[in-house]
Amino acid sequence: MKTETFSQINKVIHEKGRMAIMSALAANPEMSFKELKGALGMTDGNVSVHIRTLQQAGYVIVSKTFVNNRPHTSYRMTEQGLKAFSEYIDLLEEIVRLNRESH
Amino acid sequence: MDADWAAQRLGEIRTLMERSSLYRRALAPTTTLTGIIGMIAGIVGWTFPIETGKGFCIFWMMTGGISLLVSLLMIRRQAWKDKELFWSRPTRRFIQALCPALFAGTCLGIIGMVHPQINKAYLWNLPALWMMFYGCALFSAGFFMPRGIRLFGSIYVLCGAISMFHFTTEALHQTLPRIVHAHIVMGSSFGILHFFYGIYLSLTEHNS
Repeated sequence: MKTETFSQINKVIHEKGRMAIMSALAANPEMSFKELKGALGMTDGNVSVHIRTLQQAGYVIVSKTFVNNRPHTSYRMTEQGLKAFSEYIDLLEEIVRLNRESH
Repeated sequence: MDADWAAQRLGEIRTLMERSSLYRRALAPTTTLTGIIGMIAGIVGWTFPIETGKGFCIFWMMTGGISLLVSLLMIRRQAWKDKELFWSRPTRRFIQALCPALFAGTCLGIIGMVHPQINKAYLWNLPALWMMFYGCALFSAGFFMPRGIRLFGSIYVLCGAISMFHFTTEALHQTLPRIVHAHIVMGSSFGILHFFYGIYLSLTEHNS
């Protein structure tokens, strides 16, 4: 049971940087690149790389617009992303619960 | 991977979600309206000359109170429209961050109110001190709000510092103007700055 539970872990969200981005986007309906970078203390490159992975998995939508003639990039979590994130949290809670029951 | 690790990760997620949740409710309309109220108050204070120190303090503290009340009502209305909690965690943190500096500014106003014979230099430095405390309040709240608010707060601190330097110099040379002109300082700093920042926010919020 325990091995089964662990194998269900979502590898995309499991990485620390992507988990941080998913947590921030779960708490905010939309965040700009700068807001995300500022809130998580990540570098430009880190944010870009992790966002690309999350976007490819269908968890994040990227919107590119222009504000005062400057490019503005913002991110939102998709329904699929929210579902995957909820399942990831449920799984972590399940691991904690199983451990409590076994002791 | 064990249960301790899973519990630790759940804690990290909770912390990250709390830390990154930004307060962004009704920022543009409340800022614009605060600006309009500030400009009207500046004109009223100057036109119907409120010349006494006590009158000046009461008038501007009431203006601040009205602006705060109107802003809270607008925030509540938006929360109700969006079917969200009014007293949400981001709202609570935003208000908590504002409180210490606003309380300090209020205390300065109360001193002016309860001591009618307070000297002119104190009264002329009140707008500068209010600007600085308000700037500090915005700067603190800016950690839980979108970028830009901290810069706006810094502008207030800078304006306050410049005003204080200027009016302290005037006081030392005993060339301070009549207190009625302080309404113009208040109206232009709290009114015009808020108004233009509100317009800027409404233009950029729609695009982002």
